[in-house]
Parts: sequence; C-alpha cells; structure tokens
Amino acid sequence: MHTPLPNTDLQTTYYALAAVVLPFVAFLINFMVSSKSSKMSGWISTGAVLMSAVLAAMVFARIWNMQQIHGQQLWFSIGETPVYAGVWLNNLSVLMLLLVTVVAVPVHIYSTAYIKTHENNRYFTYLSLFCFSMLALVVVDSMVLLYAFWELVGFSSYLLIGFWFTRDSAVQANKKAFIMNRIGDIGLLTAIIILFAQYHTFDLVQLFGEKGLLYTSTIKDGLWLPSSSIVPPHNGWVIYGSEGISSVWQYVAFTGIVLAVAAKSAQFPLHTWLPDAMEGPTSVSALIHAATMVAAGVFLLGRVYPMFNTTELDILAVIGCFTAFMAATIALTQNDLKRILAYSTISQLGYMIMAMGINAYSSSLFHLATHAFFKCLLFLCAGVIIHEMQHIKEENELDIDPQNILYMGGLRKKLPVTFVACVVGCLALVGFPLTSGYLSKDGILIQSFEWADGRSAMFRLVPYGIMLTSCLTAFYVARLIFKVFFGEFRLKEILPNVHLHVSDGGWQYTLPLLFLSLCSLFPLFSINPVAYEHAWLYQGFAPSNYLARESAYHMLVPIGINIASVFVAYWAYAVYIQERKLVFPQTSFWFRLSYHQWYIDIFYRNVIANAVVQLGKALFWVDRSVVDGLIELLTKITEMLAALSAWTDRYIVDGTLHLIAATTSAIGNFFRGFQSGKIQYYLFSMLAVILAVFIIKLLI
Amino acid sequence: MITLTHYLIVSAGLFCIGLYVILAKQNAVQILIGIELMLNAAILNLVAFSKFDKLNNSGQTFALFTIVLAAASTAVALAIVLNVYRRYRTIDPGKVNQLKD
Amino acid sequence: MNILTLLIFTPALFGLIILALPSSFRASFKYITLLATLLQVGMSAFMYLNFKTGAAFGGINQESQYQFVHKLPWISLNLGTVGKMQIDYFVGADGMSIMLLVMSAIVMVIATLASWEIKSNLKGYFVLFLLLDMAVMGVFSALDFFLFYLFYELMLLPLYFLIGMWGGVRREYAAIKFFLYTLFGSVFMLLVMVGLYLSVTDPATGNHTFNIVQMMNPANFQKYSVFGLAVPQTIFGISARVVGFVVLFVAFAIKVPVVPLHTWLPDAHVEAPTPVSIILAGVLLKIGGYGIIRICMGIFPEVAASCAFWLGLLGVVSILYGALNALAQRDLKRLIAYSSVSHMGFVLLGVASQTAEGVSGAMMQMISHGFLSSMLFFLVGVIYNRVHDRDIYNFRGLATLMPEYATYVMIAFFASLGLPGFSAFVAEAFSLAGAFKSTLIPHWMAVCGSVGILLSAAYFLWTLQRMFFGKELLKGGEIWRTALTKLDVREKAALLPLALLALILGIMPSLALDKINDSVLAFVQFLQHK
Repeated sequence: MHTPLPNTDLQTTYYALAAVVLPFVAFLINFMVSSKSSKMSGWISTGAVLMSAVLAAMVFARIWNMQQIHGQQLWFSIGETPVYAGVWLNNLSVLMLLLVTVVAVPVHIYSTAYIKTHENNRYFTYLSLFCFSMLALVVVDSMVLLYAFWELVGFSSYLLIGFWFTRDSAVQANKKAFIMNRIGDIGLLTAIIILFAQYHTFDLVQLFGEKGLLYTSTIKDGLWLPSSSIVPPHNGWVIYGSEGISSVWQYVAFTGIVLAVAAKSAQFPLHTWLPDAMEGPTSVSALIHAATMVAAGVFLLGRVYPMFNTTELDILAVIGCFTAFMAATIALTQNDLKRILAYSTISQLGYMIMAMGINAYSSSLFHLATHAFFKCLLFLCAGVIIHEMQHIKEENELDIDPQNILYMGGLRKKLPVTFVACVVGCLALVGFPLTSGYLSKDGILIQSFEWADGRSAMFRLVPYGIMLTSCLTAFYVARLIFKVFFGEFRLKEILPNVHLHVSDGGWQYTLPLLFLSLCSLFPLFSINPVAYEHAWLYQGFAPSNYLARESAYHMLVPIGINIASVFVAYWAYAVYIQERKLVFPQTSFWFRLSYHQWYIDIFYRNVIANAVVQLGKALFWVDRSVVDGLIELLTKITEMLAALSAWTDRYIVDGTLHLIAATTSAIGNFFRGFQSGKIQYYLFSMLAVILAVFIIKLLI
Repeated sequence: MITLTHYLIVSAGLFCIGLYVILAKQNAVQILIGIELMLNAAILNLVAFSKFDKLNNSGQTFALFTIVLAAASTAVALAIVLNVYRRYRTIDPGKVNQLKD
Repeated sequence: MNILTLLIFTPALFGLIILALPSSFRASFKYITLLATLLQVGMSAFMYLNFKTGAAFGGINQESQYQFVHKLPWISLNLGTVGKMQIDYFVGADGMSIMLLVMSAIVMVIATLASWEIKSNLKGYFVLFLLLDMAVMGVFSALDFFLFYLFYELMLLPLYFLIGMWGGVRREYAAIKFFLYTLFGSVFMLLVMVGLYLSVTDPATGNHTFNIVQMMNPANFQKYSVFGLAVPQTIFGISARVVGFVVLFVAFAIKVPVVPLHTWLPDAHVEAPTPVSIILAGVLLKIGGYGIIRICMGIFPEVAASCAFWLGLLGVVSILYGALNALAQRDLKRLIAYSSVSHMGFVLLGVASQTAEGVSGAMMQMISHGFLSSMLFFLVGVIYNRVHDRDIYNFRGLATLMPEYATYVMIAFFASLGLPGFSAFVAEAFSLAGAFKSTLIPHWMAVCGSVGILLSAAYFLWTLQRMFFGKELLKGGEIWRTALTKLDVREKAALLPLALLALILGIMPSLALDKINDSVLAFVQFLQHK
C-alpha cells in the first residue's frame, strides 16, 4: 500500500505538509507561550499563514494540471484494517490549499488591526487552529482524517463564533452552529461507515480517485455491489457483505453526504446557523463563514463526486436551487448588514451545490474560488463599516445596533476606499461583466439551461429559478449599496448633533480591501472577460470538450441576465433613493415571510429543539418513575413480603407458642382463684369435691 | 325400740349441724363449737357401733380418747383464736385471708 | 515475584501499613496512598512496555499466550468419589486486560488526588480505598473464575462503605441501592459459576476446574453436564447455555450499566464523594464491559452470536436513552452520570457487532471513557468543593471567573462529545463502523447510534453555554465569587495528565490499539469458530 514517492514528489508533499502545519505551529506558540497582552500573537499567525500561502503557491505550481501526488503513512491498524494518514494532492486540493491561504492572508492582516489588543492572543490562537484544520481538510487522503478535520473546522468555527463569550447571543449562536454542524457530521460519519463497510478502505484515492472503487461498483436488482476487484482479507475468514448490501444504503450514504454538505455549506434545511454565526467578529465571518469553511461542503462534493448517480445529482440540483432562491428572498428584507451578506452567502453556496448537481463540476469550483474572494471582500468592507458605526455609537453614547443599515447612508464620501471595494464586490456578486463573478456565475446559468434541455418540464424550474435568484441578488445588493453608501446619513436625521469621525482606517484595513478587490476582477482568472470557458481555473476541471459553444444559451443568458440586473438595480434605486413605493408593503404576507426568514428558524426552535428537550424530560420522567419506579416497586414488594413474613412470624409461629403459654397461664389463674385465703371456703371446696366424688361414684 | 339407725340419724344430724356451723358462721369460736358438734357426732357413732364389740368396749374407749383429744385441740384452737384476735382485731375467719396470693 | 501479583497486592500492603500506623499520622495517609498508586502506575507502565505483541500473544482462549502469568494451586480438596476440588490462584494479562490495567492504575492516582477533599475518618477511608484498588486490579487479571468472583465481590464491600460513609445527603439510600443492585447480579453469577465448574474438567488432570481459559474450550465440557454442548440441557424449558449467558450478562450489564438496569448509577454518582465517583465511572463500569467480553462471550460464544441483536439493541437504547436523559438534567454530576450510560452504550454496541473494528472500538471506548469520565467527575468535584453546589442553573459566566477551569471543562466536554483528536472519537467512530460492518446486527443500529453523538453535543454544549459563557451570575453572589478560586497545583496535576492522555490516544490511537489488536483478532476469530 505504502509506496515510496519519487524525490521531487516527496519534496512537494513536504511543502504541502509545511503549508498545513505552519498555522498549527502558530497555534501552539500562541496557546502555550505568547503573552496575553500584545499584538505579537497576531503577527505570529499572520507570518505563519503568509509562509503557508507561499508554500501553497509553490505546491500549486507543481501540481496544477500536471500530476497528482498521493503519499501516505500507516497511522494505526484496527483489527485487520490498516488506517493510513496521508495527503492527496490533485487539482482540487491544491486549488483549495492556495485559495484558503491566499484569502486567509488579507484577513489575518485585517484582523491585526480589527481585534483589540487584550483579545488578540485568544483570537489568533483560534484563527490559526482554524487555518490548520481547513488546510488539513483539503489535503488529507483518508476519510477518517477528512472527518476529523471536517469536525475540527466546525470546532474552531464554534470557538470563533463564540469569541465574545460573555454575549448571550454569541454563545447561543455558536451552540447552534456546532449542533447543526454535528447533524452534518453524523451524516458524514454514516456515509464514511457505509463506504467502509462496503469497500473496506478509508482511502479517498482508492475510492474516488481515477479508476477508484466507486466507478466499478454497481446497483443491480436492489443490491449495491462493491467492485469485483476487492480482494478479501488475506486469511480469508472475514468476508462481510461481499455479496453486496441493499441499495437503500447507497441512498443513505448519499443522504449522509447531503446532510454534511448542507450543514457545512449552510444549505436548506440546515442553513439557519450561518446567519446567527454572524455574532462572531466580522473578520471571522469573512474568512470562515464566507470564503473557506462554508465552501468545505462544495469541496466535499468535489471529492466524493463519483459516488452520485443521476437521481442523486438531481436532488442536489434542486436543493441548491431552492436554497439559492430562498436565501435571496430573505436577503431582500433584512436590516442587519452582516445578515444580508450571510444570506447572500447561503444563496451563492446554493449556486455551487446546484452546479454540482447539474454536472457543472468545474463551474461549481470556479464559482467557489471567485466567490471566496468577493464575499470575503464584502465582509471586510462590512467590518470597516460596522467598526466605524461602533465608533460613532461609543463616541456619542448612543443605543443603536451598529450593524443596522437603516442607521447608515451616505457613507461613500466618508469611506471612499471601502465604498469602491464594496461596489466591486457587489458587482462581482451580481455577476457584472469584467468581474470574476460574471465568469463563474454565468457559466453555471448557461449550463443549467443546457442541463434542463431534453428533460421534463419540472426540471425547467431549476434554470428559471436560478435566473430569478440572480435578479433578486441584483436587488438586494443594490438595496445594500444604496442604503449604506447613498443618500444622507440617517442617524444625522434622527440626531442632528451627532459627531462623525470616521475614516477608512489604516493600511491593515485598506491593503486587504484593495488586494481582494483586484482579485474580484476578471484578469486573475481569465484573459477573456466574457467567456468563462477560457478561464484557467475552469479548464483545470473541465472535460476535454469544454470549448463547445453549440447552444444559443451562451449568448442569450449573459445578455439577458445583465439587462435584467441593471433594470432591477435601477428599480432599487427608484425605491430607496427616489423613495417611490414600488415594492411589497411591509405588512404583506410576503414581506413578513421574507423578514422572518421563512419562519424556518422559529420552526426549528419551537418544534424540533423543543420536542427533543421535551422528549429528554419525558424520558427522565420515565427513568425516575417507570424504570426506577419498577425498582422501587420491587423494593416495595420485597418490603411487603418481608412485612408479611414478619407478621407470620409474629402472629402465627410465635403466636402458637404464646397460645400455649397463655392457656397454661389461664388454667393457673383459674385455680389460683380458689386460693381466697378463707378457711371456710377451703372447707367448702373440700366438701364440694368430696360430694362430687361421691356423686360421680354413684352415677358410675 | 331404739335401733342403731336412730343413733346414726341423730349423729348425722349433729354432724350436719356442725358442718353447717363451720361453713356458715363468721365467728371463730362458733366454728370451734361446730367442730365440737361434729366430733360429738363421731363419738356418738363410735358409741353406737360399739354394740358389735361388746367384749372389748373399744367404741367407748375410742370415744373417751376422742373427747380428750377434742378438749386438747379446742384449747389449742382457742389459744390461736385469741392470738388471731390480738393481731387482727377480729375473729371472723373470712377476714383473716392473708394466705391468699 | 510476578509483576502482576505485585500490581494486585501492592495496595493491600500499603493498606496494612496505614492500618498499622497510629491515627496521629493521619496527615500522611494520603501520601502513602499516593505512593502506592504511583507505584502501581510504574508497574503497569513496566508491563505496558514489556507487553509482547504479535499473533503468538493473542491470549483469549490460549493459556500459553497470556503474559505475566502467575499460577499457584490454592484450594485443593480431595472430595473422595466426587473428585478433587481445584481452585488456582491464576492471574495473567492479554491485550484485553493490559490496557485496562494501565488505565485503572492511572485513574487510581487521579482518584487519590481527588481524595484530598476527604476530611473525616481518614484511616478507614484510605484502607478501604486501597482494598478497592486491589480488588479492581484483581478482577482485571484473574483468570480463574473463583478468583475473579472473589475479587468481584470484594469490590462491593469497600464501595458500599465509601459511598455510605463519606457520601452526600442521601448516601445511605444510594449505597444500599448500589450494593443490592450489584449483589443481585452477582449471586446468580455464583450459580452459573458453580454450574460451569461442574461442567468443565481440566483435560490435564481430569478434575473439575474454575479456569476461565479452559471454560472457553467446548471440548472441556462433560457430555451430560449442565452447560455441555454435546447434549443440550434445559432449565425451565430454555437452553441451559442461553440461561447461563443471560444470567452472566445481567450481572455485568448492571455494572456497565445497560439501560433498564442503570438506575443505581445516577444515585450512586450523585451521592458518592468525588474520588469514589471517579473510580465508579472510570474503572468499575469497565469491569462490566470486560466481563461481557471475557466471560459472557468467551464462555458462551455461540449464544453471544445468537443474542447479538439483543445486545446491539440494548447498546443503542442505552446510547439514545442515556443521552436524552442527560439532556433533561440540571445537576451537573447527574448529567455526567447519564452521559456515562450513553457512552458505555457504544461499548455494548461495538461488542455486539463481533467485528474486529467493533470490539477494538469498544475497548478503546472503555479506555477513553476511563480517562474522560474521571476528568469530568474531577471537574465537578472542583466546583462542588468550592461552593457545595452543582446545579447548572446556579452558575453562569464561569469562564470569566475561572478561565483555566473553563478551559479544562471545554477540553473534557469536547473530548467526551467525540471531537476528533481526542480518544473518544476513534472509539465511537470504530464502534459504529464495526456495528455497521457486522452481519449479526442490522445496519440501522449503527445509524441510530450515531444520533447519540449528536445528542451528546447537544447536552454538553448546552451546559457549557449555560454555566460557563454569558455574563457572570452566581446564585451565591459575592461569597461564591471569592470561594471560586483558581485551580491549585494538585488539581492541575490531576487534570493535565488526563487531558494529555485523551489527546495522545486520539492522535496516536496505535499506542493502545497495537496492544489490543492481536487479542481482538484472536477474539473475533474465536467467536467466528464458536
């Protein structure tokens, strides 16, 4: 199993490992030794992640479109099964490796300024742990390790969401995030176990690599048959399920994967944790809940893609499309700046999942990469805005929510750099030409139409739904921009003498914004700004016939969607700047549905969570009264038996004895009565006896 | 003609009177008298039955013995009665019942 | 002198020393006990390092493959026509017991460190403690059923007094409940033991024997004996071997504890002092699991196969039922007690699967739970000793007040809920993998078992959120604030090794699995052959 790698490959592997381990080293240093009250930890972590990025770039240059490396080492054996630990570097993993480190660098720099000094150490300890887990997640080759880092990523996200742990809302949110992710985790675990039981290996390469086991297994007559090439364990006495198991379990494994993806990538029905996760520091939201961790679900789909059959892919497409649409409708009415972005993230992740479902594998990953940049950018912009609003709030001692966009407005003059960066990010999000978003998103839209061609009318809902979602995206993005940056500063309208000392901040703020803005434009991905097929990233994953542009969709869809977007954006302008009433009134059902996030969260909290808690309470009652009650009953019965036998002992066994004694005593007492002490009485008695004797004698 | 039967009837009557006196009277002296009566009844019988032993007159002899004994025992009994009286200030035997438990 | 014998009787020796010392030395008793337990750790570490692995050291049903064996004739009575009564002092270790011995030795040190809280009647306490220590080690290494039973019963006595005399408010109720529960199981075990004795003959001497290893060989059963395989006997119309299995299983299931028989556990834990809770959860529960593997399934393998469904079902029920009950608790100690029920369910599920993965996972879970539950109970003890309250609702925001303590609690909680990187993850994942892979139990059991992992996250995170995060708010106000001091050196010395052990076993499970593996394989092979 373990084959020695050639020297150059070994070197590459070491680079990749170093890129993964460096943040961990930073984590250890910060955890163990760093002082609690300096900015030192921040620079340690930043330095580590910067070096990781350089190493990742080197690894990327050696792997991308050239080869794949799979190196592994025995980790432990359990029973007959050896469990290996190793790395699998292919296009997908090196892309993720590079992407995560490149996005992490600006976020780290930004954070050094964003996080207060006394919280610095703790923050960067967690952040480095996250970077380590995320980087390890993308390179590992074994399902056990994949699961381990999958969950560690969730754990570090838990720590970071609850970073301000004295805030109740933050700790509620991190608990929710972890539990939601746990649902996904057990899905993944179930899937892993099923695959292990079926194929007897945890090795991702053996399972999903080229000519992997998944390609050779079939479902026949309701039985899921593993490939015939499986060699039974060498001594031949353990042959489990080699004849195949019911095909239901293939679907269970799929469901497990879907749950995992839905939890991590915040898809319906497990998406509700992500908006709440915005309780964490904004820089965390930028890195974890926009760019990297939430993309892990898509990454997982990319890794295990070969195991899905057509039905399952269709389900994925529907889930993705529905989530994208639902999240977009919710984003329309939210007032919390970060919540809007969170729902927009959910929506965009829906695109990626849907893209996986419609066989647009490469577009999905392409969108993942572009989205990581522009969404991270948007969050960092939001961070600047919130930071400044917080500043205003503290300076003027106001009681406002610094994240509420209703208090903002007209900030484009105060925060010019942020404004420009934010507009770039928003345009990329909407998918305007010349941005990276255009390239990746239009690819998905076009392919969704091609996919729906030749299928039943039901499937046509998917491309049209996603088109509609694009228009909604344009609307909420425009709303965000107009509310925050245009018009007048609304707080000033309410409180005329409020002090405003706001600026873009130092280079730690502006540099990451500029860097990410540049990354959100087309040149990073493609020389041709309008044809997604020419993007190098797309080509890295596409099948060989990617150049075919036979359908008319390639022309119609981008033009149509852009015209629609412009129109919608203008509509938003009309609504919010010119203040014309062209939307649903705020009392309508549709508005409330959107504002309350489709009542899903309320449903979960009131129905499901409540049900589980009540079930727990009921079972505790059962435990106390029924299970323990039975024991008590047993005790009672024993006690009663004991009482009964005590009674028997006292009244029957002992009673007999007492009766004898009492009889004797009664007889004695009877005769004692004759002892009156009167002589005459004795005489009389004597006489009576004598008489009696005589009478008896006479009678006999 | 006075036969043996007449003696015996008288004797039985005497005995019964004596018995009655012993059982019924509440005076120790009267009881002593009753005892004397019963003794006399016995003596009468002895004398009456002595007709079957004319040679030795053993009946009469026993009667004499009995009279002497009766006198002696009466003397003793009277002494006891006297002592009882000193101690209990009564000679009613019903009231002297310390022997009972 | 045999090292295993030394390991068993060292505590007894030190117990005698304490007994001999006058009470004026009472301050030194805890140090003497600590020395005894540390010596045990040293000995068990020596055994661990010298434990030979490989297929030739599988143990299980091969007497020659056991290590550190010490066998002395003990009771040998000539009973005339009935034959010769043969009871040996026979101890030895294989992969199944070696890790449990190491784990118990370490947990005993932790329990000793927790015993600093004991203030009254120190002599009695430490003598009983050491007696218990001896019995526990004896149970894990005895290979003669009579000896096993002796040690097994010997555990009860000190525990009864330790709970009943040094416990909480309702200690007498809890002690009696615990005692009767366990005794209920073990008296019937005695009957089966005698039955087995009368059924099995030692092929070498032709005498009846209590040797457990001999009992595993079907050829040693006499033809017309109660538990003989050749001519099936019945008791009340049920196959005698099934009855024997069920009786032994019930005895051990009470110890594990398996769900309908678990109600002694929360009461005993809540009332017991911290060190006794640590021993109860850390070591005693494992005796149940160990007994099921070594005795129930070892002696009645074919019944174990046919009852696998029920074993698995009980395991799954324990997992879910324990977790849901934990969710309803507000006493921290009771919550952890129920979480123990849930976690020990994985042991049963893994064992029921009778696959190498499942059994290894179960063994790993026992070791991991030994460390983690000790840590959890120790942590509860820390807070209870300071303010004499452990109601979850009475605390809030402890992380601000006691950051170090909160860190340890988080480590313990996350390790217990199966965060990868800690030992419980490997254990639970492989118990479930084994359960799914098994052909003896249905696949849905593994899936249901995994829901237990989700629920454990729910109750642990709820507790974290409720007690440790948020704004600081204590029921006892300022008095509690000053009482809740930082962890002292002793407490850190107990907690740090446990946290590290859980972490190291999670990252390098091979440290434990390498020692276990050969025995597990031998065991699974033995079960396959029946």
